Formats: sequence, structure tokens, C-alpha cells
Amino acid sequence: MSEVVPIDVPSASTAVASTPVLEARALFKRYGDVEAVAGLDLRVGPSEIYCLLGPNGAGKTTTIHLFLGFLEPTGGSVHVSGLDVAAEPLESKRRLAYIPEQVMLYRNLSGLENLEYFAALGGRGSLAAERLTDILVGAGLPRAAVQRRVSEYSKGMRQKVGIAIAIAKEADALLLDEPTSGLDPQASNEFSELLGRLRDRGVAVLMATHDLFRAKETGTRVGIMRHGRLATEMSTDEIGHADLERVYLEHMHG
Amino acid sequence: MIKHIARKEFTDVVRDGRFRWCAALVGALLLVSLGHGWVQARQAQGELAAAQATAREHWESQGEKNPHSAAHYGIYAFKPRLALSFVDAGVDPYTGTSVWLEAHRQNDFLMRPAQDATAAQRIGALTAAHVLQHLVPLLIILLTFGALAGEREQGTLRQLLATGVGRSDLALGKALGIAGALALLLVPAAVVGAAALVVGSPGPAASPLARAAVLAGVYLVYFAAFVGLSLAVSAQAGSARTALVALLAVWVVNGLVAPRAAVDLSRWIHPTPSAVEFARTLEREMATGVEGIERPDQAATAARLMAQHGVERVEDLPLNDVGVYLQESEEFGNRIFDRNYGALWDTFERQGLVHEALAVAAPLLAVRTLSMGLAGTDVEQHRHFATAAEAYRRDLMRQMNGDLTENSRSGDFSYTAGPDLWAQVPPLRYDAPTLGWVLNNRLLSLLVLGLWLAAAVLAAAAGARRAEVA
Amino acid sequence: MLLRTVLRNERRLLAADPALRIALVVFAALFVYALANGMVWDRFQARTVEAARSGNAERVRGLAQELTDIANGAQPSSPFRDPRAPIVLGGARGAHTAVLEPGPLAALAVGQSDLLPYYYDVSIYTNESSFQQNGEVENPLNLMVGRFDLAFVTVYLLPLLVLALSFNVLSEEREQGTLALTLSQPVSARGVVGAKLAFRALLVVGLAAGVSLLGILATGGFTEAGRVLLWCAAVSLYALFWFALAAWVNSLRRSSAWNATVLVGAWLVLVVVLPAAINIAAGLLHPLPSRVEMITAQREASNDAVNRRSELLARYLEDHPEMASGVVPDEPGMAALTWAATDAVNGRLEEVTAVHDARRAEQLALIRRYRFLTPALLAQGVLVDAAGTGDARFAHFQSQVRDFAERWRQFFVPAILADERMTAAVLPGVPSFRFVDEQPADVARRAAVPLLVLGGLVVLVSVGAGVALGRVRGAA
Repeated sequence: MSEVVPIDVPSASTAVASTPVLEARALFKRYGDVEAVAGLDLRVGPSEIYCLLGPNGAGKTTTIHLFLGFLEPTGGSVHVSGLDVAAEPLESKRRLAYIPEQVMLYRNLSGLENLEYFAALGGRGSLAAERLTDILVGAGLPRAAVQRRVSEYSKGMRQKVGIAIAIAKEADALLLDEPTSGLDPQASNEFSELLGRLRDRGVAVLMATHDLFRAKETGTRVGIMRHGRLATEMSTDEIGHADLERVYLEHMHG
Repeated sequence: MIKHIARKEFTDVVRDGRFRWCAALVGALLLVSLGHGWVQARQAQGELAAAQATAREHWESQGEKNPHSAAHYGIYAFKPRLALSFVDAGVDPYTGTSVWLEAHRQNDFLMRPAQDATAAQRIGALTAAHVLQHLVPLLIILLTFGALAGEREQGTLRQLLATGVGRSDLALGKALGIAGALALLLVPAAVVGAAALVVGSPGPAASPLARAAVLAGVYLVYFAAFVGLSLAVSAQAGSARTALVALLAVWVVNGLVAPRAAVDLSRWIHPTPSAVEFARTLEREMATGVEGIERPDQAATAARLMAQHGVERVEDLPLNDVGVYLQESEEFGNRIFDRNYGALWDTFERQGLVHEALAVAAPLLAVRTLSMGLAGTDVEQHRHFATAAEAYRRDLMRQMNGDLTENSRSGDFSYTAGPDLWAQVPPLRYDAPTLGWVLNNRLLSLLVLGLWLAAAVLAAAAGARRAEVA
Repeated sequence: MLLRTVLRNERRLLAADPALRIALVVFAALFVYALANGMVWDRFQARTVEAARSGNAERVRGLAQELTDIANGAQPSSPFRDPRAPIVLGGARGAHTAVLEPGPLAALAVGQSDLLPYYYDVSIYTNESSFQQNGEVENPLNLMVGRFDLAFVTVYLLPLLVLALSFNVLSEEREQGTLALTLSQPVSARGVVGAKLAFRALLVVGLAAGVSLLGILATGGFTEAGRVLLWCAAVSLYALFWFALAAWVNSLRRSSAWNATVLVGAWLVLVVVLPAAINIAAGLLHPLPSRVEMITAQREASNDAVNRRSELLARYLEDHPEMASGVVPDEPGMAALTWAATDAVNGRLEEVTAVHDARRAEQLALIRRYRFLTPALLAQGVLVDAAGTGDARFAHFQSQVRDFAERWRQFFVPAILADERMTAAVLPGVPSFRFVDEQPADVARRAAVPLLVLGGLVVLVSVGAGVALGRVRGAA
């Protein structure tokens, strides 16, 4: 790992006023000699859509996995709604929804059965099948596909079941890892709309993405990660598309 | 081309850590079981030979007595351990080792070694034959399951076929490579076994080396069939994992399920009488005779003899009528024994046929039958010895009754014979059946094993031809 | 909650997976076939016992009839078989059949019952060589292979079902990608794996125990609850051991293929190789002399005894004054001389047997110690013991037969020595054998240590798996 260049974090004016839902404090994750996350400080408040940008290996996915408790930090801490993930792994996961890059499901079960299972694991086993169907349809799955086996689904359809799982959980925060990769533009647009609706309900969204355009369109804030820490952070209101791209490239080569 | 594939496969296999471990384990078990079997067989044969000599000594030194008393005293026969029994103990632990040859009755073989063992020992007998029949096929499966399926998963199959290798050449090359790896394990074991046979044969047998050679051939065919079968499954299976699961299922059915299933099935199809029933029937028939086998009557015999010799009183006969009567009742008994024991042995053989026939589902059953047959430890060769011992008993009784008839007179109960007569009885000599006899008895198993080999070769060839490349 | 959710999902997954369904159906069929075999054998034994009993009764009736006829002036059927002679009535002609009834669970495990005799004709001639007699008429080939009974299916095949159901319980979730979504829920990997295995254990143990209970119901009924409990405990713990092992291997976070290879290897070593290796070791360390020398000893003793009968009788009378009331030592009858010779031979046989049994005990002790090396031997031992077809119940029977033979001799020998005449009035007073079954507590005590060790293994491996699974956080 090269020496970390100190960066000027611009305009903290947009910093979250209320209590953050997702918070990383001086977070470190080391694999052998490699610092995947090196002193990350991050806060995402309610009704925020925070887009983490950065090249492959910048530590975006690691950060998300640290929030989920899939990994243990080597330094610092992660908090969900004020809960320390390390101390209360299950309670903090109860407040998180997660959509992985590739939503993989039980192929021999239907979309509805998958949703029923994961919703029940998430503590929402009381939801009736009709309600779950509505959630699936609301997430964009054709009603006819609800009862079909997942082995017949396209990637986009699986992704929608993943979204439905996240919606059904009614969590405080949503973690997304490259959610739109491999989706066609229309599906991506639908997806952005959906995120907007969740934000309106007060959900805090943390999304790792490569897609600068969508980050500008959908996000309320963007953070550019490099070498395991935030290189810069800005509000999307403050910056145009072209500016974002310029800043991004600057940080990549800087 | 085949040579290159075989060499690559050989190198690949031999460098595989899993193969080394498994081969070391199987090899060690094979050598230990061979050694243990050899030591045990030699020790047992030593004891049996000594006991047989002592029995003969007892017979010869029984002193002056009436020949019929000597017949009652009788002699014990001990079943010898044959030369190859150290490779495959077969049913030997479950057949008696000795039989008392006495007047009037055919006795059962007593002293089954298994009766001294525990239930725990019954689940885990280990002979070289077990290793060869069960563990070597498992090793073959582990070596072969990925041979084609694995290459397909790695994508090397496409590359290989792109070089212009014929598909059946590929399969043959793989088979030869695996055979080479197995040879590393099997050839030393075969050499050790043959050396043990030459250096210190544990017991007698007709042409033991020829039997050993055929035995080796039978196992080679069995292994070849397994290699072919595994290659066929590996070629057809969707993934290496599927191939492994399918082959393990085959192994379990072949080695565990089918043999035991055959036991109960054979008992259902050909039930044997209970010991009580058998003994009762024998007792009843001995007491009253059966249709066509009349029980001799002492008075009638005497009357017939007197008529023949034109005398009025038994005392005037030039022979002892009791001797004639005793021999007649021996012969009556022999026919009853032949009826009952013969039927029982025939039932055993028919049960054995059920085992042999089920070999179409599990080649192990054919190999096991042939292996025991060649080692001389199957039920048929036990029967062969039992028949020889019984024939010896009948000769012995005939001699004793003959002496009584000719050298004493009716009514003379004080007649005794001496060591001269005892020594005139030849010692029990047993000639084990010839190789031809064994093979002739086992044609069904030979046929089924041959069919398995043919089927495996065809399946492997067809599998390789039809295997999907990617 | 978690358990219920996972169970429901697993049930759906199972219902949707034809391969697992087939595996379960095949195993159910194997269980039923095994049970049917056991029941056929159980009925066969029951019929044989009945035939042996009725044969005995018939013999006694025949003797009573003949004795009455003789008292009324008829001639005995043969001078050598005159039932008035106590050596005849107490000998082979009047022998009493001592019977071991098949136990209440005999249909579950054939055990040693196809090999060891379960009835003996006891007479004054009963001695150590009598216990060498063959058991049931049986094809040696079938004896060698062993029966397809529930004990076999449990010890050999049940682990394979367990492994087929659980070798990829965690690795599959990771390989198909569902683990990430699962672990993003407020559940731990340990909890999910535990619940999944609980579902499978319920299925497998339910199947095994269900078929066993069915068999018990169909044959003996629940007359001996202790044995039933031991059987079920052994089946359950043995199955749980394999589940725990699968959990542990899964917790190592390798691929499904790796798990399968390791678990099948473990099965092979624990079920096939180790029991065989233990037996080889026992044979090498404590070789058993063959029983052949027993024959030689018997012959030599009887040759010797025949020549020294008078001397032996005198010594016998000295040693056993209690047997000798009413004997006229100066004019011993032929029967008394015969008895003296018989007794001398029996004594010699006991000496030979004692040496043999001592060596056998050493070998058995070794095997008993080493059976702790593999759960397969532990489970098998408890299963046949609980079913009452193991070595222990047969040994228990044999020792009772030995005692009974002694009682029999106590009854007849004084009469032989005194050269008394027996009448039909004696018959009702002749000793009669009744098998006293083992105390349930004795069976339980024997099974306790193996079961505890088996249970300990289950706990140990489960805890190891639990600790390792506790470290599984992410989907990688």
C-alpha cells in the first residue's frame, strides 16, 4: 500500500445533522500486509442515499461487509443505528437490509417462497403471502412469475426478488453492492425510483457503485474511496455531472 | 498417442497426494492381511496336521478290542487348510474344522472358529481378498471419477480433443495410465503373495501356483471392469462430483448392499430346515426307514444267511451274522444320510447360485465366488472334503464289519482284533479338487464376470465417444 | 423461530429436490427390507424353540409311557436303553432341552443368533465340548456374509444417508450464493446450520427409530422398555455423531467436493477399515489357539479314563461323598464306572477350556478396549446387546445351562452310583430348565459406557463444529 496522501475533505457543510444510521469510525481492515480499509470515517443519516465510488480494490465491498458483520474490523468500529456491530451482530443486522451484486436464491423454490424464507429469517415471518406477493410485484417482478421456480428467472428478476427481500424487512438502512451492474437501462431506472421511495420513508442507503452517472442521479451524497479511505465526499446538489467525473479522475490519478 | 496419454495420466495420478495416501493405506492393509493370513493359515494347518497324526495314533494304539467297538471309537478327521486359504479365508471360519467318524452315524463338522469370535469380529474380518474386493475398487473410483469429467470442468478436454486425439484412444490411454498406477500397488503384493506360497505354502492344494495365477487373472478382470465402469460414468456425468457420487453409490451397492441382500433373498427362495427339524427327520427316518429304503432286520438277515448256507442255527454259519447285519444297517444309514445331508448340501448350493446370479447386479459376488473357489475355501470344497471324510468313514466301517463277519462266528461276543487290523486301515488322504473341477463348477461366475468386463469396456468406449466436450 | 423458519424452508427444498427424495425413499425401502428379514428370522427361531420344546415334552411322555409299561410287566425296548437305569434316564435318552427364547428385540438384529446355539440337550454327559456344538443349520456362506438386518443398515448405511443429506449443508449455500443473503439477516451461521441439521436429524432419526419401533411392535411388543430405549439411544447417538461430523467438516469452509471426499473417507476408515484393523491387531497380539486340541485332550482323557475306571470311581467317591449315599464301594455297577470315567473326561476338558478361555478373554479385552476407536463398533455392540442377540446374552444363557447341567448331575449321579431303578414317578421331579433373562440394569450397565462415549463424541464434535461455525461471519 502506498503512502496515504492527506486530502482536503471539502465542504463539511453537508454533513449529517441528525444521528447517523450507518457510521464507521476510524475503521481499519487489514488482510496480511494489505490495508483494505484504512481509517475510514463515514456517516449516513436517515433519508440519505450515499454512493461510494472508487476503483476496484478501493475497499467499497469490504466496507459493506464490515457493516454487515461479515468481516471483523482490525481497528475502529462500525455502528448501525447506534449499535456496535461487533458487540451486537444480530441486533444490528436486524436493522440492515442488503442486496448483493448478484442476488442468488434457492433455485428449486419460487420467488415467493424465497421471499417468505428470507423475510422470516429477518424477523418478518408474520407477513401474509398476499402482502409478500404485493411486495414482489411492487419491486417489479411480473405477477405471473411470483410462483415460478427461481431457476427460470433472469438475472434482473432475481435482483427484484432481492429488492423485495430488502423492502419486506423494513430496515433502517439498506446496503447495496453494485446493484445495477448487468441490469438493462430500464431496469436500472426502475431501481433508482425504488431507492427514491425508500429514501422518502427515511431509510439510509449506502450503495457501492462504479456508475458515476447513476450516483449523481440517485444519490444525495457521494464519497470517493481510494486505498481504503475516503478521498473526498460531496453532496450531489453541489456538483454537476461533468464536475463529478473530473473530481473522480483527479482522485484516481492524483 | 495412447502412450502419451497413459504416461500423462500415470504421472498425474502418482503425483496426486490423495492417491499416495490412499494407495499407501490400501497397500499396507493388503500386505498386513496377506502376512497375517499366511501366519494364521500356517499355524492352523500345523495344528490340524498334528491333530490328524495324533488321531491316527489313537486309532492304531487302541489295543485289542472287538472291531465293532473300534468302529464306535472311530477316528477324527480334520479339514486341512489349503495353500491359498491365506489369501481368502472364505467360509472356513464358519465351517467346522473336524468331524468324528464313528459307527452308525454321519456327524456334523464341529469347532467353527467363528464361534469363538465376538459379534465385533464378524463386522470386521480382513483378508487380502477383502482388500482386493472392496478397497481396491474404491481406490479405482477415486482415481478415475475425475478422469474425463474433471478434464471437462477444467476445460482441458476441449484442448486435448483439439489436438486430434481419438476419443476411444483417450479413454484407453486414461485406463492404461490408471492401470499403471494401480500396478505400483498390486504387483508388489502379488509378488509377496507368490513368494509366500513358494517359500512356505500354508497347506496342501492341487496345483497351487496355477490356482494363484487364475486368481490373479480373475482380480485383474474385476479391476479392469471397475476402471471401465468408472471411466464410463466419468464420461457421462455432468460433473466430477456427480460422477463421484454415482460411483460411490455403485460401490456401496456392490460391496455392502448386494452381498447381504443376497443372503436373505437366498434364504427366502431356498429355505433350509431348522436344526431341530433336520435332526428329527433324520431320527425318524433312521428309526423307520422311508419308502424304498427299508430298515434291515437282524432276524431276517440271520434267516437269509442260514438259508443261503443251508444251516439251521446261526452258530453253524461260517461267518458272524452280526457283522453282516451291522454292514447292512450301515448301508441303510448311508442312504438315509445321503438323502438328508445331500438335500441340505443341495439347498446350500442352490442358495449359492442365488448369490452367483445376483452378480449381474454386483460383480463382487462373481469375484468372491471365484476367489473362494480358487482358494479352496468355498462351500463346495467344504462339501468335497466332507464327502471324502464320509467316504472314508464308510470304508472304515466296511472293513471293521468285514473283519467281524469273516473272522468271528455268530454268537461269539468275545472276539477281538488287534493293532494289525487297525494298521490295515489306510490313513485318511485328501486330494483337493483340481483347478479344472473348480472352474467347471464356477462357469456362471466366470460368465458373469466376463460380461461385466465386456459391458464396462463397451460403456467406457461409448461414453468417451458421446461425452460432451464442454 | 429460526428453527421453524429453516425447517419449513428445508422441507420445501427437500420436496423440490428429486435426488434427495429418491435417497430417502431408497433408504426407507432398505429399512423395511431389513426389518422384514429380521422378522422372518425371529419367527423362524420362535418356531424352532417351539419345536424343541414340544420335542422335549414328547420325549418325556414317551419315557413315562415306557416306564409305566415296564412297571406293568413289559420288556424295555432295548437293554442298553432301559429307562429305569438312571444313566439312561439322565443320559442322552432323557436329555432335557434347555432353550433360550429370542429376545423381545430379536427381529432388529440377527447378531450372533445365526451362529451360536440357542438350545442345548442337557444330560449327565453335558460338558465343555457340548458348548462347541453347532447352532442353527445354516449355509456357511450366509454366515460369512451376515444378514441384512436393521443393525447392519444402521451401522453401515445410515451414516451414508446422513452424509448424503448433510455433506454440503453450509458449502452448498455458499456455492449457490444464498449464504450472503442469509447471513445479512439477523441470524448466525451456527444457528442456520444447526437448524438445517436439526431438520435432517429429525428425518433420519425419525425414520430409523420409527422403523425400529414398528418392528418391535410387530414382534415382541414393548415388554422390555429398557432394551427399546437403549436401542433407540444407540441409533440416535450414532446418527447424531455423523451429523456432528458433517457439521464440523462444513465448518472448515471448504468446497462441497472436498467435504464429500473427507466425509466418505471418514466413513470408510471408521466403519470399514478400523474394525478390521482392530481385529487383525487382536489376532496378532493375542492369537487364539484353535479348539482342535480340545478333541485330542478329550480322546486322551477318555482312553485313559476307560483303563482306570475303578481307580477313578474310588477317587470320585472320596471327592464327592454327598453323591455317594447308598453306594456299595466294593461292587460298583457298570454305570458307576462309566460315570467315573465320564467325570474324569469332563474334568480334563474343563482344564483345556480354562486355558483357552483365558486367552480368549485377553483377546476380547483388547477388542473391548479398542472398540472405543470407532463409533461404528460402539454402536454395533450396543445394538446387538440391546436386541439380546449379542455375545453377552448367549454367554448368560450358556452359564445358566452349565449350572443346570450341574443340577441335573446332582439329581442323577447319586442314583447312578447307588445303581437305583427309576420309575415314572421320578419324572415330575427331574430338574427343568427355565431361562432367567438378564436384568435390564445389567444390560444398561454394559451399554452405559459405550453410549456415554458415543454421546461424549457427539458433544465434542458438535462443540468443535459450533465453535468453528461461530467464526463463520461472511459468505466467503
